[in-house]
Amino acid sequence: MTVFTCEDTFEGMMTCIYDAWAARLGHKNVRLQTEPVLQQELFCQYVHVSGDTRKTEKVVRSVQRKISVQAYRRMYLAAMSFETDKLDAIYRFLVLGFAYGPDILERMSEPAVMRIWELSRKVGNEAHFFREFTRFTSLDGRVYVAHIEPKCNITAISAEHFADRMPSENWMIIDDNRRIGAVHPKNQPFYMTEFSKEEMDRLLESEEQTDEYTDLWKEFFRSIGIEARKNPKCQRNMMPLWYRKHATEFR
Amino acid sequence: MEISRDLSLQEKLHILADAAKYDVACTSSGVDRKGKTGYLGNSVAAGICHSFGSDGRCISLLKILLTNHCIYDCKYCMNRCSNDVKRAAFTPQEVCDLTMEFYKRNYIEGLFLSSGVQKNPAYTMEKMCETLYLLRNEYKFNGYIHVKAIPGAPDELLAAAGYLADRMSVNLELATAEGMKKLAPNKNHKAILRPMRMMTDTIAQHRLAIGKDARMERGKGNKYLPGSIFSSQRIEMQQETADQSTGLAQDNMLPVQFKKMDWNRAFSPAGQSTQMIIGATQETDYHLLKTSQHLYQNYDLKRVFYSAYVPLNEDKDLPAPGTPTPLLREHRLYQADWLLRFYGFQADELLSMDRPNFNEQLDPKCDWALRHLEQFPVEINTASFDVLLRVPGVGPKSAERIVKSRRFGRLDFNHLKKMGVVLKRAHYFITCSGQMMYHIPLEEQYITRQLIGTNQKENWQIAHSGDQNFRQMSLFTDFQVQV
Repeated sequence: MTVFTCEDTFEGMMTCIYDAWAARLGHKNVRLQTEPVLQQELFCQYVHVSGDTRKTEKVVRSVQRKISVQAYRRMYLAAMSFETDKLDAIYRFLVLGFAYGPDILERMSEPAVMRIWELSRKVGNEAHFFREFTRFTSLDGRVYVAHIEPKCNITAISAEHFADRMPSENWMIIDDNRRIGAVHPKNQPFYMTEFSKEEMDRLLESEEQTDEYTDLWKEFFRSIGIEARKNPKCQRNMMPLWYRKHATEFR
Repeated sequence: MEISRDLSLQEKLHILADAAKYDVACTSSGVDRKGKTGYLGNSVAAGICHSFGSDGRCISLLKILLTNHCIYDCKYCMNRCSNDVKRAAFTPQEVCDLTMEFYKRNYIEGLFLSSGVQKNPAYTMEKMCETLYLLRNEYKFNGYIHVKAIPGAPDELLAAAGYLADRMSVNLELATAEGMKKLAPNKNHKAILRPMRMMTDTIAQHRLAIGKDARMERGKGNKYLPGSIFSSQRIEMQQETADQSTGLAQDNMLPVQFKKMDWNRAFSPAGQSTQMIIGATQETDYHLLKTSQHLYQNYDLKRVFYSAYVPLNEDKDLPAPGTPTPLLREHRLYQADWLLRFYGFQADELLSMDRPNFNEQLDPKCDWALRHLEQFPVEINTASFDVLLRVPGVGPKSAERIVKSRRFGRLDFNHLKKMGVVLKRAHYFITCSGQMMYHIPLEEQYITRQLIGTNQKENWQIAHSGDQNFRQMSLFTDFQVQV
């Protein structure tokens, strides 16, 4: 068994798929994994693959042309997952996809296809939750900063939504764990960036900012609940505790 | 109680959010709108919840009253004029500031503006329109707005509100005319249904004018459901218009004389909704559900909301304070409402004059299935979409997945589980390749017992959500263990 490993980036993963495919070892004899590889297996050969833009483009283009744009979208979402088997799942999905063609996503009785649905649904749902529960704090009304700690890498996906929503504001969304962020200057497209340790330390202070409106929001949040219908269990179901870490009304 | 001193914004927000919390609708759904440079906000058809309150209800919109001054004396309402409560009123600017600042911080999805009736309906509606106009045009807000139409306000103002808001609603309040007379002496159904009808027709006209179907969009599964309430809707609508004033549709429309305002906005693009209070009078579930169906079919409402009555005021015509809120009943009504809108059921299939109320123990769909065991079991690999949708534990999404994926191979129970079918309910009613999941008798008594057993915990939790009798024990608080 040959195990191809790569960095946990979209480019890395696509290149890894390309190389594993091009190695012509037989689909049964290869496995794909994102780094870090925590425990190596005894009878496996490990090959590191580093990202390559040209190969990434090739893979993306063939998926879109030979399978479908929807399949590409699902694959992209699945690649943003935190699960460790995601890369191998995508590979198995593509093996079937290139064989069956555009209707692959409807073949849900194939385990590989179902796995892609599960992974991409999880990522899509989480991205949606962060569209809902991301909270911005205002730094003197000049820039709005949000901190999130998602399990999946969804910063870019939910930033698209905010770019449409607040096109004429300066804002940034920061993923505290991955130390990446989406930065949106007023009336311009947003871009993704990485932060250094020092930058992160400074950025973390921004969350402590409070102003008149944070208090007003807390007041509103308290007033809107009906005492006779109190139901913390339902509340936890709808908004699990881990999503509340950065939510103003629960801080 | 009139307060002479000026209230701070925080106090006002407390009073007016508190007064608005019994309005149920808090959805931000029904319209897709892209953002614009220079404006703030967009809108997503699926709707976005931004938080969940201590009662587990979604907080999507900034739900406030413009004022809780009210000249009416509805007995169920906290803001009735004879109640001694703190009164306050927002200025339009305050509402706009709150909406904009909350929206920028991603606290809310938009504004839900309602109001007590101050002075008279026209004055109140004018104030609300002024607020919305300011918000849309001065503050350049492009997000979602839900506005309550005040019955009795001039048509011009209702029309203006419709062009500024995304969804409008008039509260039906109570499903029966007797209840209305008893509890809300200043209101009557005729005065409520008139603006509702006018808005329905104006929305329909507007949709036709921009090349859409006159009827609102419904769940996409509905087009495969021959028996759904929306498939017969068109005919009924036509009949009704023919009955009224021989086709003079213009009479029913709100006056559209805003030629000089180039707002370029659709009229109430997310449709209209309404709400009914349940449990304050003696109406039956059958009556409520029939009313909803009628409203969906003839008024093309997007949603009907049910609000379990919370005893607030003491009155001989009302349930005594301390009466438990009928939460489980409300839950059953919502379940049935979904069955009407997404599953192709008719109100008459679920309830009848002889059985006017829902079974507390079982959800309406299981209940229906148990009374129609002759139609089961259903073979997953061959059954049609509408038949699949009637199986308890199968919803629109899983039915769609089944129909799509079974073209490529036979499905078994493991596949169904992965597709999101709730097998603990479904397995009594389905076969995969001719076999049921377990060897069980297809017998009403037996399945009822089994289903009640699985539902018991859920039902109990819904009915007793307010009780805080149980919690996890902790060594540190209960047994004072020191670390």
